[in-house]
Amino acid sequence: MAVLVGLPAVDFAFAAGEEPGEYLDRRVLIWNLFYKMMTVAFITGSVVSGTIIWQVWRFRESHPKAKPTRYEGTDW
Amino acid sequence: MTLELQKPRPIWQIMFSTHHTDVGLLYLISSLTFLFLGGSLALGIRAELFLPGSQIIADAMTFNRIFTVHGTTLIFLFIIPFASAVGNYYVPIMVRYKDMAYPKLNAIAFWMIPPAGVLIWLGFADFTWYATPPYSIISAPGPAADMWIFGLKILGISSVLGALNFVVTILKCKHPDMSIGQIPLMAWSFLSSSLIIMVAIPTFAAALLMLLTDRLGVSGFFNPAMGGDPISYAHLFWFTFHPEVYVLVIPAIGMMYEIIPRFSRKPIYSYSSGVFAFVMLSIVGFSSWAHHMYATGMSFTEKTVFMVGTLAAVPASAMHVFNFVATMWNARIRFSTPMMWAVGGIALFFSAGAGGVVNSAMPLDFTTHDTYWVVGHFHLFVMGTIAFGSIGYLYYMFPYVTGRMYNETLGKIHFILSFIGTVLVFFTQHVLGLYGMPRRIYDYPPIPEWIAMNQIASVGAMIIGISMAVFLANMIHSAGKGKFADTDDPFGLGGKYYYPFEAKNPSH
Amino acid sequence: MGGHSNWPEWIYVAVVIALMTWVGAEAWEAERLVEHVPADAETIIVTGQQWFWTFEHEDGTKEIGELHVEVGKAYKFEVMSKDVNHSFNIHDYVVLMDAIPGRVNTVWFAPDAVGEHDIQCREYCGLIHYNMRGTLYVEEPSH
Repeated sequence: MAVLVGLPAVDFAFAAGEEPGEYLDRRVLIWNLFYKMMTVAFITGSVVSGTIIWQVWRFRESHPKAKPTRYEGTDW
Repeated sequence: MTLELQKPRPIWQIMFSTHHTDVGLLYLISSLTFLFLGGSLALGIRAELFLPGSQIIADAMTFNRIFTVHGTTLIFLFIIPFASAVGNYYVPIMVRYKDMAYPKLNAIAFWMIPPAGVLIWLGFADFTWYATPPYSIISAPGPAADMWIFGLKILGISSVLGALNFVVTILKCKHPDMSIGQIPLMAWSFLSSSLIIMVAIPTFAAALLMLLTDRLGVSGFFNPAMGGDPISYAHLFWFTFHPEVYVLVIPAIGMMYEIIPRFSRKPIYSYSSGVFAFVMLSIVGFSSWAHHMYATGMSFTEKTVFMVGTLAAVPASAMHVFNFVATMWNARIRFSTPMMWAVGGIALFFSAGAGGVVNSAMPLDFTTHDTYWVVGHFHLFVMGTIAFGSIGYLYYMFPYVTGRMYNETLGKIHFILSFIGTVLVFFTQHVLGLYGMPRRIYDYPPIPEWIAMNQIASVGAMIIGISMAVFLANMIHSAGKGKFADTDDPFGLGGKYYYPFEAKNPSH
Repeated sequence: MGGHSNWPEWIYVAVVIALMTWVGAEAWEAERLVEHVPADAETIIVTGQQWFWTFEHEDGTKEIGELHVEVGKAYKFEVMSKDVNHSFNIHDYVVLMDAIPGRVNTVWFAPDAVGEHDIQCREYCGLIHYNMRGTLYVEEPSH
């Protein structure tokens, strides 16, 4: 997240440069965008998959604290 | 419940039947056959790409034909017919009607598939499953190309007829006591995907016809030498096929809506969100097609419009993930084979979607377009989500269709090996694409990183192959010799776990 | 349907929409910058055909399969095709643009270091698509 906040500052360095001999480096621009996206994707991904993994472990029927849902035994 | 194989029936009785359970069974057998045929081609591709140079495929033309038929087979001859199998079997049951709305048309729609499959396989075209002109017009060898075109034409008609049947059955034939807001979410998934098919496929039908007349030289729609524009084909193709990918995924998500709540022993967190998400995805899915064409020289404004259209579809997909996760919350879950496949599929669905969002960010497409990143991305969808959901549902319906149980241990082994293999192949291919390896190449320069990643991917593919052999053995053996199942509750979930309405097959 | 409050779902959807908006805004800005071709970029005509690339510089010099350019200069590629669709790709510099017969597509770059890089084709074009390759040579300025 710190990277995400700091990067826009570095970003201005590219946005600025268009003097003759100093051109925008498309590689840097594009890959930086990619790394930002990847950071967000991995953070979101770890939240989502972490939740799923924890759920799969905690709510499995063989967990010691597993209790019937409030729908079991009813005509849901 | 209907039991197909408890009482042996003559094969011709099933083949000439128009009852929805029999047509469903025919679709099932056909789609699984093509799964194995198309999957074998994939193993061939991965074996060839294990190292630079020629391994088991002698020349580039053969390789090009193999990947074309691999993609065409798995999309049009496995995924779509498999969904039709499930839909045919269960939609009438879910809406409490005796059959599909048009049983004879239903059977006709199925019987178009084997001839189309034969055309595609005997032809073995080489122009990729997109068949993009001008290559497909001026350079692709016939009669392979023409056979492919005819095969796809037939499949398109079959798809539309099937879709028509689903829409009428669900909307017009549902039981009078049942409102549209009470039909199961899997029925909604078939309604959505069928409506998409009916709107999207005709565009491709037109494009195919134009491609054929261009090939014959009597028209120049896409041939620049005759004043045509190849990019217009791309628009027509993707206008159909971007919504088509939603046609592929929506039924699989519908199948997960059958499995996940039941095995969690509680109802779905939000039925209305599920409906809303299906409907929204169906509509918004039509607004993103040209994100496949970012590199064709579109203007900045055009690209922006399609990027927005692409991103707009993400919340709908995300709602399904939320629905499943919230359903599993405070549940008491039995992780039988079908549930493992469904949950694994949801986890991979997210990674597939995340990669897609990256692609849609316009400049990032320059790094990933037509590289193995894209191959990894869409395979996480078609294998990781759709095939996983479909295979899970197949295990789920096995006791109902056969009256017997499959071997649970082998089913779990199938899942674990497939999951590991899928991650190994397709996550690696994302990185391989970032290193620049293009798609659809028979051979590659001996760049060490490319070689290493190709090898990891090939090993992963072999693991999937082994798991599929286990699957085949389990299915065949258990169908004939498996333990008899308790057809009211084969998975021991407790309570009423299937639809009270029976499918009364007149031949039983 | 449960009669529960749905606020977690609304928050979740709001977060997803916010994320997508952020992705879109970042991508829009980056694309805007990347598409701005410098006025003094030197034009190179790139022609793809089955199965090789040819290049023509402003001064008329032609090259086949290799392209020599100078460090620190900006170049604008006008990409075209003689037969089927190809796609001109210098992966190391993230240069990618389809070569479509009947039209000219434009992409630019400014190499900033001396070196050799692969040129490849990134759109299936038939038998030798896999080997439709070339080399980019970035050299010190000659003057």
